[in-house]
Amino acid sequence: MYWVSVFTEAAIFAILALGLDVVWGWGGDFDLAFYGYLAIGSYMTFVLSIGKPTPPVEYIIGWHLPVLIAILIAVVVVVGVAAVVGAIALRNLRGIYFAVTTLGAVSALYLLVENYTPLFDGYNGVYGLINPGQTALNLTYNGYRIVFMVLVFVLLFGCYLLVQRLSRSPFGRMVRSVREDERAAAAYGRQIFFTKYRAYLFGAALAGLTGGLFAIFISAFNPSAWTPAELLLIYAAILAGGRGNPRGVILGVFVVYIGFIELTRYLPSPASRPDFGPALRQVLIGLMIILVLRFRPEGIFRERPGLDTGLAPAGRPRQARVQVLTTREGQAADDGGPG
Amino acid sequence: MTTFLVTIGVGLATAAILALSAVAFTLEYAVSRIANFAHGEFLTIGAYVAYSTQGIFHQNVAAAAAIAAAAGLVAGLVLNTLVIEQFSGRSAITVLIATLGVALVAENVLDMIYGAANVSYSFAQGSLHHVGPFLWTTSDIEVIVSALVVAGLIYLLLQRTRFGKAIRAVSQDRALARVSGIPARRIIMGTWALAGAVAGFAGFALAATIGTFGPFLGFNFLLLTITATVAGGLGRPYATLGGAVIVGLAIQIAGNYTSSAYELVFAFLLLVLLMLFRPNGVFVRRSSVTVRA
Repeated sequence: MYWVSVFTEAAIFAILALGLDVVWGWGGDFDLAFYGYLAIGSYMTFVLSIGKPTPPVEYIIGWHLPVLIAILIAVVVVVGVAAVVGAIALRNLRGIYFAVTTLGAVSALYLLVENYTPLFDGYNGVYGLINPGQTALNLTYNGYRIVFMVLVFVLLFGCYLLVQRLSRSPFGRMVRSVREDERAAAAYGRQIFFTKYRAYLFGAALAGLTGGLFAIFISAFNPSAWTPAELLLIYAAILAGGRGNPRGVILGVFVVYIGFIELTRYLPSPASRPDFGPALRQVLIGLMIILVLRFRPEGIFRERPGLDTGLAPAGRPRQARVQVLTTREGQAADDGGPG
Repeated sequence: MTTFLVTIGVGLATAAILALSAVAFTLEYAVSRIANFAHGEFLTIGAYVAYSTQGIFHQNVAAAAAIAAAAGLVAGLVLNTLVIEQFSGRSAITVLIATLGVALVAENVLDMIYGAANVSYSFAQGSLHHVGPFLWTTSDIEVIVSALVVAGLIYLLLQRTRFGKAIRAVSQDRALARVSGIPARRIIMGTWALAGAVAGFAGFALAATIGTFGPFLGFNFLLLTITATVAGGLGRPYATLGGAVIVGLAIQIAGNYTSSAYELVFAFLLLVLLMLFRPNGVFVRRSSVTVRA
């Protein structure tokens, strides 16, 4: 059963990574608010499906909807929040300004959730979504977990097909063309903001779905369940697998997640210092991000943007912007390709 | 009115530390054109090294502050050599992600050395003093005075010395500075050492003011630092000082009228609003140009 849970979690994160890759890999926008979307999706799934709170626990809504409908509504809510953040952050801000703005937005949101208990019960968080539908399906606990894993893998495959199709569609190429050179894309009649905005909302929708699945998977959620460090792990997985390449992204999540998390589980932790092993794991993740970025920014699989790539070459032109004329303009424009 | 002025006083003490951290951040940006997300670790490293060595100098505050600055200086040099220079020519966002990786490494190495539990200095906070309308502890006064001194020294350095002139030249146009015979690489290195030292000192001041701190001291302060920097305008050292005062006062006043738990919520909403309406800082007229870096 241990491996069932490991694979389920990895598959859930793979869906999240696919969504994040649309925003970051194709769109080129380094979004630090993304983990907030998973959190909102998770919270909303809970409050829509676990019924009225019993004091002193408090949270909003408290409906008793079937979990699948709850997830659907949660996705809609997440897209709504992303629509606000995206409208602010994507309009004029790029590069580090975009990253800082999204980090500010998500930090404000998180602090609000932590401190304002009527929303989602503050630090304690919400819980109580234990194997929804288990009795209706007439399954044992373990049987349910296996069925859930299969369901998650089916969803992952569906998302993969969707993203892969989208990746090669005119829309996918448009998002990438905007990333490579906004001015050129605008000159060819692309609407810069709207293109990025749509990609952003699509990514957020996948994050909301992931949040719902995550809610069923861990059956409790509080602010410490999901932090920027977790998001960095997803970024690391995308980087390692191959930014902008859906297959690479999924492979990256499985390799990084199972490789790092499961193998480093056996790292020695002195009995007096239980946090030693997890800290060492974070160090390794950080080092991996730096080294991959430095030495193989395109990851295991290169980005392959589709069929008629007369415009943008696949992969990052290595050290393209030559140092000869590194004007501020030149440096600034180079926030494009993978890396 | 009195409580309001006390609030302002507390805000000024916060602003002093924020100003130090933000000036360092903005100097890093000015010469390297990158947002250093490992900047918070300079503060944390300064605070922890001062913690480790506080016994050697018999709890001498000045010595501890100097050691924290020295530790930050070393950290600045190491980061610039091992990471920032390795990524030269790459996009600013790539370097941002790399420094985020550095922050993750540094935090957890500190966690492995010192443990995740909070530690605290054995310095006395000092008694409360009425200074004009404000109510400050001795350490508050020390922090504010030293921040003013450091800001004055940075001003003199940038305006009156060859090194400062070179920093300004490199930050305006690195290529042009280089063809004018300025050793850009050495100047950038020196700037990182300076920024690291200022940040290390700020970390010590922050930790001493809060009382207890852990491995995430600096990273938690990073976003506030960035808010102050953006309020002033990225890469503009003097405006950044003004930005820090504005942000320090704003969060203190907002927190005073609601609850201190929401102080940071206001700070980060302020950051988002700044990005929306004044991405180049409150001291310049709104520009219609897309902001990218």
